[in-house]
Amino acid sequence: MRARTTSLPGAKRSRTRSPRFRAGGLGALTIGVVLVLAGCGGAEGEDEVGAAEPITLYTCSSDETVQPIIAEFEEANPGARVELFRAPTGELNARVASDIRSGGLRADVIWGCDPLTMQSFVDQDLVGGWVPDNASGIPDNFRTDDYVGAHVLYMVAIHHTDAPAPEAWRDLASGEYEVAIPDPAVAASALGTLGYFAQSPDLGMDLYEDLRSNGAVQVSTPDEVTIGVAQGVYDAGVTIATSAYQAKEDGSPIDVVWPEPGAVAVYGPVALANESSDSQTAKDFISFVVGEEGQTTVAESGSYPTMRDVGGPTVPDGAPVVFPDWAAIGQDQDTLLSEYQKLFGG
Amino acid sequence: MRGDAATTAVRRGALVAVATLTVVLVLFPLVRLAQTVGQETGGDLTPLLSSPGLGTAVRNTLVLAAAVTLLAVPGGTALALALRRSDVPWRSFWRVAVLLPMLVPDFVLAYSWTQAYGRAGFTETLAGIGWDGLLGPVGVTVVVTVNAVPLAFLVVAVGLATRAEPDLERAARASGAHPATVLRTVTLPLLRPALAAASVLVFVLTLATFAIPVVMGTPAGFSTVTTRIYANLSLGADPFSFVEAVALALLLVLLAGLVVVPADAVLGPRLRARRVAASDTGSLDTGGPGGGRWVAATLAGYLLVTLVLPLVALVAAAVTRAVGVPPVPSNWTLDNFEAVMTGRTFEAVTRSVVLAVAAASLLTVLGGCVAVLERRRSGRWLSSLITLTLVLPGSTLAVALLISYGRWLADTLALILLAYLAKLWAFAHRPISGALDRLPPDEMYAARSSGATLLTAVRTVALRPLAPALAGAWLICFLTALHEVTMSSLLYGPGSETLAVVVLNSQELGRIGPTAALSVVLSLLLVVPGVLFWLVMRRLRVPDRPPESRPVEVLDVG
Repeated sequence: MRARTTSLPGAKRSRTRSPRFRAGGLGALTIGVVLVLAGCGGAEGEDEVGAAEPITLYTCSSDETVQPIIAEFEEANPGARVELFRAPTGELNARVASDIRSGGLRADVIWGCDPLTMQSFVDQDLVGGWVPDNASGIPDNFRTDDYVGAHVLYMVAIHHTDAPAPEAWRDLASGEYEVAIPDPAVAASALGTLGYFAQSPDLGMDLYEDLRSNGAVQVSTPDEVTIGVAQGVYDAGVTIATSAYQAKEDGSPIDVVWPEPGAVAVYGPVALANESSDSQTAKDFISFVVGEEGQTTVAESGSYPTMRDVGGPTVPDGAPVVFPDWAAIGQDQDTLLSEYQKLFGG
Repeated sequence: MRGDAATTAVRRGALVAVATLTVVLVLFPLVRLAQTVGQETGGDLTPLLSSPGLGTAVRNTLVLAAAVTLLAVPGGTALALALRRSDVPWRSFWRVAVLLPMLVPDFVLAYSWTQAYGRAGFTETLAGIGWDGLLGPVGVTVVVTVNAVPLAFLVVAVGLATRAEPDLERAARASGAHPATVLRTVTLPLLRPALAAASVLVFVLTLATFAIPVVMGTPAGFSTVTTRIYANLSLGADPFSFVEAVALALLLVLLAGLVVVPADAVLGPRLRARRVAASDTGSLDTGGPGGGRWVAATLAGYLLVTLVLPLVALVAAAVTRAVGVPPVPSNWTLDNFEAVMTGRTFEAVTRSVVLAVAAASLLTVLGGCVAVLERRRSGRWLSSLITLTLVLPGSTLAVALLISYGRWLADTLALILLAYLAKLWAFAHRPISGALDRLPPDEMYAARSSGATLLTAVRTVALRPLAPALAGAWLICFLTALHEVTMSSLLYGPGSETLAVVVLNSQELGRIGPTAALSVVLSLLLVVPGVLFWLVMRRLRVPDRPPESRPVEVLDVG
């Protein structure tokens, strides 16, 4: 410890070494440490005898959801192993982009948090082309031929308990509230919401113009909306249902509304990597996640499942839900964002 | 003359080793990023450069960096000078307290400020005083400055500990010079290298700052280059956004280069001087009697506003069950701590500590090498070069290393270590560089020609006066590496999850309670190495103290 803090480690011990050796020793020391650490990360797991090749899962879904799923899958499939890389969407995208540029995608399965990102992976020939047979158990709104929704986020309205409850999305723009909205250039869930509003004949970009002229503020992520409204900085806001209910359950002074015409559903799709099309474990895993057992686990872990009738977090009786046209949003993404940014800077 | 040959061999060996590492850690990753942009845009950068809002973001970034440098460096210098006075009550305490903001991740710091001073914050609830401008450019500038002051303080304090000439200052005072004159004509000129080092670090670090602008600037539409990079990566599944993010990161490198390279080339050699390696790094009583108490009172006020209230907000957030409920005992809970303290956390703590110690120790050696080598013609370019990776936001630096070495090192701790070395090399180098001319070659020659082996000469002539600088550099790197989030969360793999990955990833960065609890745990964890460090420093400086002399003060930072 002390040798390290004085920072010329080994100065005393190496008295007998030749000076030349010490100088080269610096590079050698660095390389040595790097190699030792390289061993630390890589060696694990390879010594398990008889185990099938482990698969790698890239996801931005929450740890609380992914960990139990993996545990149950491994229990149900002896010998199968799933290695996990979990990161927020931005880091996940950066990791995938870096993988492609350094020898290819290192994931066998990607479980994303929105269809736009996943469609872009499909367009780059990274994933897709296969869905499990049991995908038909998931509603049509939550799947394509390339990927299947494994969980879903609902964009809802929240309001501070001091402010009256809005009934419809329009109410947020009435001037009655100081509103916080998440940045669609950062959160895909916010982009989906923007896309839905812009596509809707009743709302359109007018909604954002009214929000803007009534002093709405754009913050970065849905979580920051929740925090701001809970703190009382804003009266109301647009955020993710799980984040809102979590805060409310903890005791934050907020209430959650599923406004008319409906909470915006943003599903998190799971897809098979093209390079892993012959991996039975990867296919089994996807099948497990979107099957009844996996969906029940998703529901129990606090995320909304895509499958109906397997339970899950709070959905008020008769709560309306709407489904954005993801293909259209994907095509108009740039226009949507630039129109939005004319209103909200960024 | 065998000794000289050996010295030359050592120098040459060190130059080769450092040059190799510069290529590995800095040049090759930057080249790979540039290659990515070049190949994937076909060399046509027009669409990237003409994207709307880019000009504003660049201007915001530069103005922010300049403003923060102009505020934080004088601020840190004032703190360092004030804490040099031996008549300041509880001086050791203040020195530690000033550094505390370095323990808190930016994201949490930004939140603590909004919690303390923003709308519906502490001061508004208790005294009706809220600060509406907090969420906006001014607030961002203030909080980034507060965050940068400890760094500037540390670099300047290290410079003071190694470079100050109390005898000169006393002589000036005894000849009737006003304290302000002494400061202007003696102390500050001696500090120039340290001030230059602090300015470069603060400027570059502010160019790269991300969490504070994104939390506090976004609500006011204040965007910087880093927040644009973040947005590009978040929607970066489409290749163009990714390339744009990389191009913006390279733009930051270019901006940093435009400032740092000329500064190093022009200022560097001029600021250096050969000086005697005197061991009197003592404190100085510049003011009249009782002045120390005023200093302490001012410090207390500054720290109350910039640190205590935000930290109270932080601790309150850590023990309160939800955001938005009053932090009264009936709302207290340990849930957030339980969420943070799992079995996986402790495994990851060990890994993070090992990683941070390895990074800090290697960096101190590497930083020292560059500080020595930049003094010769062949090594002059080194100091500018290694500063370039400091300006890369963590996400893009991680991308650069993955693209460069992912084939062989993906998912290993080694890749994370390389990222830390690349990111923090300048952090280690600049403070040492700002202190190094305590190491006049003449004394090394004298020691060598009197028969001392090279190691003895280094140990007795060089190491002792440099100890505060080396320790300071080590400390900065250790603290920064320990709670690093972005790079490790992009680079980790099975078996190489760091503390930040385990805790923050599982809780999502967006949740305040657990994140605040983590900061509290981390701060407490650091008290242990802090005390060890302090003991080591004490031991180091004891032999220097002649029995009859005044107490000799070496920076006891932690």
